[in-house]
Amino acid sequence: MEKTNKNNKKSISYAKWGYYFIAPFFLVYAIFTLYPQILTIYNSFFENYRDGLNIIGPNFVGLANYKALFTADSSGVIPLIKYLGNTVWLWVIGAVPQFVVSMLLALFFTSTRLNIKGQQFFKTVIYMPNIIMASAFAMLFFALFSQVGPVNQLVMAMGIADTPINFLGLQVSVQTLIGLMNFLMWFGNTTILLMAGIQGIDEALFESARLDGSTSTQVFFNITMPLLMPIFIFVFITSMIGGIQMFDVPQILTNRAGTPNHTSTTLVMYLSSYLGISKNYGMAGAVSVLLFIITAVLSTIVFKSISPSSNK
Amino acid sequence: MKKLLSILLAMLMVFSLVGCTQKEEPTPTDGGDTPTDETAEGKVLNLWTWNDEFWGFLGKYYADETIDEYTLKKGDVTIKRTTYPSDGGAYQDALDAALLNQADAAADDKVDLFLAEADYIIKYTNSDATMDVKSIGVTDFSNTYKYTVEAASDANGVVKGVSFQCCPSALIYRRSIAQDVLGTDDPAEVQAALDTWEKFDAVAATAKEKGYTMLATSVDDYRVFSNNTTSAWVVDGKLNIDPAIQAWMDQAESYTTNGYAKYATGVWSDEKNSEMFKEGKSMCFFGPAWYFNFCMGNAQDPDKGCFGDWAICKGPQAHFWGGTWMLAATGTDNPTMVADIMNTFINNEDVCSKLVSEEAQFSNNQKVNNKFAADASYGNDFLGGQNDTAVFAELAKDIKFQNITPYDQICNEQLQANFLEFLAGTVDKDTAMTNFKEAVKVAYPSITVE
Repeated sequence: MEKTNKNNKKSISYAKWGYYFIAPFFLVYAIFTLYPQILTIYNSFFENYRDGLNIIGPNFVGLANYKALFTADSSGVIPLIKYLGNTVWLWVIGAVPQFVVSMLLALFFTSTRLNIKGQQFFKTVIYMPNIIMASAFAMLFFALFSQVGPVNQLVMAMGIADTPINFLGLQVSVQTLIGLMNFLMWFGNTTILLMAGIQGIDEALFESARLDGSTSTQVFFNITMPLLMPIFIFVFITSMIGGIQMFDVPQILTNRAGTPNHTSTTLVMYLSSYLGISKNYGMAGAVSVLLFIITAVLSTIVFKSISPSSNK
Repeated sequence: MKKLLSILLAMLMVFSLVGCTQKEEPTPTDGGDTPTDETAEGKVLNLWTWNDEFWGFLGKYYADETIDEYTLKKGDVTIKRTTYPSDGGAYQDALDAALLNQADAAADDKVDLFLAEADYIIKYTNSDATMDVKSIGVTDFSNTYKYTVEAASDANGVVKGVSFQCCPSALIYRRSIAQDVLGTDDPAEVQAALDTWEKFDAVAATAKEKGYTMLATSVDDYRVFSNNTTSAWVVDGKLNIDPAIQAWMDQAESYTTNGYAKYATGVWSDEKNSEMFKEGKSMCFFGPAWYFNFCMGNAQDPDKGCFGDWAICKGPQAHFWGGTWMLAATGTDNPTMVADIMNTFINNEDVCSKLVSEEAQFSNNQKVNNKFAADASYGNDFLGGQNDTAVFAELAKDIKFQNITPYDQICNEQLQANFLEFLAGTVDKDTAMTNFKEAVKVAYPSITVE
């Protein structure tokens, strides 16, 4: 009798400790994430900005901020929709090559048949660009590709063009550069995550497949990919959320302007322009809320559509 | 024992957090509660700037000792600098936040003195964030240029600050190119050849035939037009495009099409600066004394530059560009030193003379400037020995400080940036203007944009 009582007590207290241990995270989350998030939603219903040194508002305006966001400008374009398109496109051109290259590299590095030497060295090198601050990286490209920069000197010295090419004024080159920079910064990170995923797969499965005479392609699509799915979804969703929040690279490369013609202005750059001189918390709040909804919806769709559990 | 340890650790984590959040609170309350002692003044003077131009002068001609890049010492008072870049309104932004927090800040953290540019000075002079400098002892404006005082006055004529420089802007030209294009590099003759926009355009055509460009970038002469407007950027709460601004747009368009301007890039771009090197092919730049002293580093480069191959003249229209005003922040705990700094830079003839002779500034003291202007032996080596002070003294008479709004910096920046996109050929003119108006709307919700 006494013994069971003691056991009961023990099990109850263990469960309790679990909660205590995770409590700090939830506390931090509530203070630094949940509370600001609720505040942002609240603020998005108010007119609240600065005109010079005078603060206008906060006045409750209902959905007026959201209505303003969906109002077309005089050329018939709704900026918000345009910037959403830019954001998605800029993410796609950086992320798709990134997934392909990272997957290949991860396969090469983990392949027991190739058995690449000096893995640590290569892993470190491909991870390097991620260590550089995005702003510094963008600054570097800004200087490299200016009309008087080294790239243009090279282009002219090689006789490809007679006059300097305005790389930072052309949609194709600006978007390509942004995609390239995001690719360079993140492919190392993705490779390492995917490698960890592949290494987690039981080697016996690969061996038996090989003994049964399956080709590398078959092994990849029938063994590696299905078992890697949980990691791949994680990589995909984090990359997508990062992509939706894309800011520093285009902001600095285009000197805040999203040149040319706002074709590289992302949603977060739009948000930050409201927080410039006018400190327009209302409009910025509304953009944030929409951003939150978009992220939530996209993540859910991706999760539902490629998660293996839904296939069952 | 393990239990105890885990409780302890968990508590430690929680408390360290709470500790962090609480830590910040005492500061403002402390500051608010501390009664301001009227007789004893603060030991720290906080100066806000967007670059280190004035800071350098303050260190050389006012402070006793330079501690480091951000700290000076004068007597037992420490002068501290807080700097944000001007671009995109970042400086105004940070300054506004500090000024709005002024009442709650601790005495040593209060903004005491801050710098402001012509483009937005009115925002601060017309607010309670600045104070009447006459009340703290800056009373003698007999030698300063009238427009510098007008610019620092509020709507009722109360003076809120002073400028340490006067910024008439001149046409700065390459002597060697002028020699080739006009057959002369004499400032008077060059001026005669460029004193109207019609003549300026004609010379631009000649320059092109000889393989030069009149301007390095299409926005180089923007200020000449924008300073000669007949109406403000914002009229009755509505965005307004003045005929002078329209005239600039027309000129910029034709200069780009005709190849009279080399680049369609911004006024601070690397492309423009590269034209200041020896092998640059651009003939004219526009700017006041601070421009060729502080921003034409490439021209002054001993190896690649062309020191001495420059001269200045009035150009087609009189104008000014920028200028740095010091404003006294309401709530300062160092009023005496604030007044002392202001008086030093406008009324101390010794300091003003050094600003002219050693820094090639055009000071805000007419007596000193006129002394140098009349001195035949005085010349600026960068300008091939030309007496720039004499030119500026003449130009300063024509400066008008008019049609100013608090919104000018962003309107000027955004118009140039968006119109440049049209000039670079990436958008059509209508789209450029739409983008400009959208940008103004985002920056200033209170302005009606049509």
